[in-house]
Amino acid sequence: MTTTAKQDIALMAHLMRRAAFGAPLVELKERTAKGYEETVEELLSPDDPSDLPQDVIRRYHVDQSELRQPYSAAGNWLYRMVTTKNPLEERVALFFHSLFATGYTKLNQARSLLNQIDMFRQHGLGRFDIMLIELSKDPAMLLWLDNNENHNGHINENYGRELLELFSMGIGNYTEDDIKEASRAFTGWTLGNVEYMAMRAMKDSIWPYSRIAWHFQFREDDHDQGEKTFLGESGNFNGEDIVEIICRQRATAEFICTRLFQFFAADKVDEDGQACIEDMIASYFASDYEIKSVLRTLFNSDYFKSDAARYARVKGPVEYIVGAIKTAGSYRQPTLGIDQVAEQAFFMGQGLLNPPTVEGWHEAEEWIDSGALVERVNFVANELSDTSKPGIRAIIGQLGEANGGTLTPDEVVDNCLGLMGAIDVADDTRTALIDHVSGQGDVCLEDTTSDDRVGELLGLIAATREYQMA
Amino acid sequence: MTTATAATTLDYIKTIGITNNGDNGRGFANPYSIAVSADGRIYVLSRCDPVRARAIRVGVQDLDENFLFEFSEGYGSGPGQFVLPVAIAFDSQERLYITDEYNHRVVIYSSEGKFLDQWGEHGSDPGKLNGPAGIAIDSNDNVYIADQHSHSISKFTAAGQFINRFGREEDVTPRHSLYQPWGLCIDADDNVLVADWRHNAVKRFSPDGRHLQTLGGLQNTPGGLENELFNRPSGVAVDSEGYIYVTDWGNERLQVLTPNGALYATERGRATLSLWAKDFFASNPDEVEVRKVANLMPELPPHLADDPYQVSSQTEPYFWGPVAVTVDAEDRVYVVESNRHRFQIFKRA
Repeated sequence: MTTTAKQDIALMAHLMRRAAFGAPLVELKERTAKGYEETVEELLSPDDPSDLPQDVIRRYHVDQSELRQPYSAAGNWLYRMVTTKNPLEERVALFFHSLFATGYTKLNQARSLLNQIDMFRQHGLGRFDIMLIELSKDPAMLLWLDNNENHNGHINENYGRELLELFSMGIGNYTEDDIKEASRAFTGWTLGNVEYMAMRAMKDSIWPYSRIAWHFQFREDDHDQGEKTFLGESGNFNGEDIVEIICRQRATAEFICTRLFQFFAADKVDEDGQACIEDMIASYFASDYEIKSVLRTLFNSDYFKSDAARYARVKGPVEYIVGAIKTAGSYRQPTLGIDQVAEQAFFMGQGLLNPPTVEGWHEAEEWIDSGALVERVNFVANELSDTSKPGIRAIIGQLGEANGGTLTPDEVVDNCLGLMGAIDVADDTRTALIDHVSGQGDVCLEDTTSDDRVGELLGLIAATREYQMA
Repeated sequence: MTTATAATTLDYIKTIGITNNGDNGRGFANPYSIAVSADGRIYVLSRCDPVRARAIRVGVQDLDENFLFEFSEGYGSGPGQFVLPVAIAFDSQERLYITDEYNHRVVIYSSEGKFLDQWGEHGSDPGKLNGPAGIAIDSNDNVYIADQHSHSISKFTAAGQFINRFGREEDVTPRHSLYQPWGLCIDADDNVLVADWRHNAVKRFSPDGRHLQTLGGLQNTPGGLENELFNRPSGVAVDSEGYIYVTDWGNERLQVLTPNGALYATERGRATLSLWAKDFFASNPDEVEVRKVANLMPELPPHLADDPYQVSSQTEPYFWGPVAVTVDAEDRVYVVESNRHRFQIFKRA
């Protein structure tokens, strides 16, 4: 392979680590042949996900049909992330789940939380104003931030405050009066049968006949019809008007573009990164606030393609787990234990559908502490060193195809790094891996011990610093 | 000849059940199958999921909603245990046969709950089981099992001796073959009716495996090939006059067909409070007050209203997860709902 070809594949691997959940070498080669910008467009244009069908899942996992508990809903989403052909759609849903963090602990309503994730899929690449309107109608969000208690004449500011502070503009760009006026505009935005549903949520009631999922309801008789003044504009505003005004603000563009940058490009924003964000902001306004356009600008930017952006993000637990499962080839069909995978993500600090607060998770370097690191390495090493798994068998098979029967320690390390998704490691990491393999000499694929040695190496690669990064 | 809609001509009798409070006693944990003994006792299989595995069992009650007793050897793969049980059926000796799609076997209990026997070996060859689902037993105590991952029906003696297998593409024509079959029943002539789950059809076979009839599946319509009858049917039963009852799982409804296959009735469900549910509200009066003003038949936004699963998740009286149906000696029809932990009873008007 030429140096240019290697560079092209490394760039594609970088894109797929960010816009998807990683990809094996064979897919990277196919996508590289197709072209970088073409791949970006494909990722930005989700089609039929062709994921594991819900009917097959629900027949096997009765708990994922009923969706009484968060682990069931989280397992259901994990199946989708592992098997979808639209990985960016899931990454974007995960982004909004982090940004508009809504949690099970207060709601006790997993079905409605998954409906919120569906809404993120549907609108996540669309216009940000539409997303915020749908968010404001989302029953899980409404109960999560107490908008069911936001009444005409007796406002509850919780949703109005977080809409401005955590979901769109950021603190310092509005006043306390703006919060109150926004809250007035969202009075009457609630869920059907709200009194009964709120009590069931509070009591975590599953009686008499399990959960009853939620839907949005607008109660006109509880809506404040009076004039409001918001961000310097006055009128008989309702919630849609408030969102429209919010999305026109430069602060909103800066907020959403910076958060997208940090999720998809780099945890830290340097000077070059800030210039990239400015381009994203320009796309935001030029496209009428379309997230797809903003992401297109990001993925095609010089910054994103540069060395500075490579391995500049700590993988979040969910993307880390899903990437490893995809490499191992497990959970392609309904399998007992998917709920335990969801539980593993929780142990690593990211319980799907169960963020700690409305602020979401503390990301970047905070994903990794000594406890979380042990959980990460143990889980992924177990997945990748299990040579019975189809993805690992495929890697062993491709090793033989590429190099014949016997590989030197250098060859087996370089090939495994490549086959796992063109992983680029530091020299000292590579040396350590080679030293480990060298302890037992060359790897002869016809030896009975070779599978275990390759599996052990894959597990070791999963323990490297580079594998923790994207 | 079928039509898309039919007037309701079923009488609703009652609802029995409640979400299990704890791991045992009255109530169900994802009920998956039902069988009625000769003396009218109602046996309900609680499938559960691994996290709630301690509740895996068969519960026995009567039509007056008296909880009688329950039994199982617990969760696992040891003698008499279950991991993913699917269906139950009585033989002529009132022994209860229970399939387990994870353990790939049949477990047999007495009607009083004593573990008697088990048989079955995992595999795809004739005589082996690969995801056994529905089960039905004919008048000669031959045992028919819907082997979902072999896409076929396997026939055994009561002792588990293999007799024959049918329904695969190589056994019949592709058009008459099965794709992940689920529920089964036996008609008055000892023919076998199969809920052909992923073909969206119900198929009838002779005892020796000849295809006799297909209901549903893709039909020629003016708009092209369409299926108006079923979407992922899970269970099938017949009454004494040959009427056919199908739990249309994907559409969250019960379809009733005449003996010649015409659509007779469509039932979405009409659950009311069981005695056990009324007991719950008697000790939770705070919920009673807010429930009184709630509309449990809400009109949903369009993005939810078009999906029967979503509608059922928000409409308490409707079927949600109708996984099985059976008919008793009095032609009462029992529809089991895995997601609502209850069954509703009807009778043809």
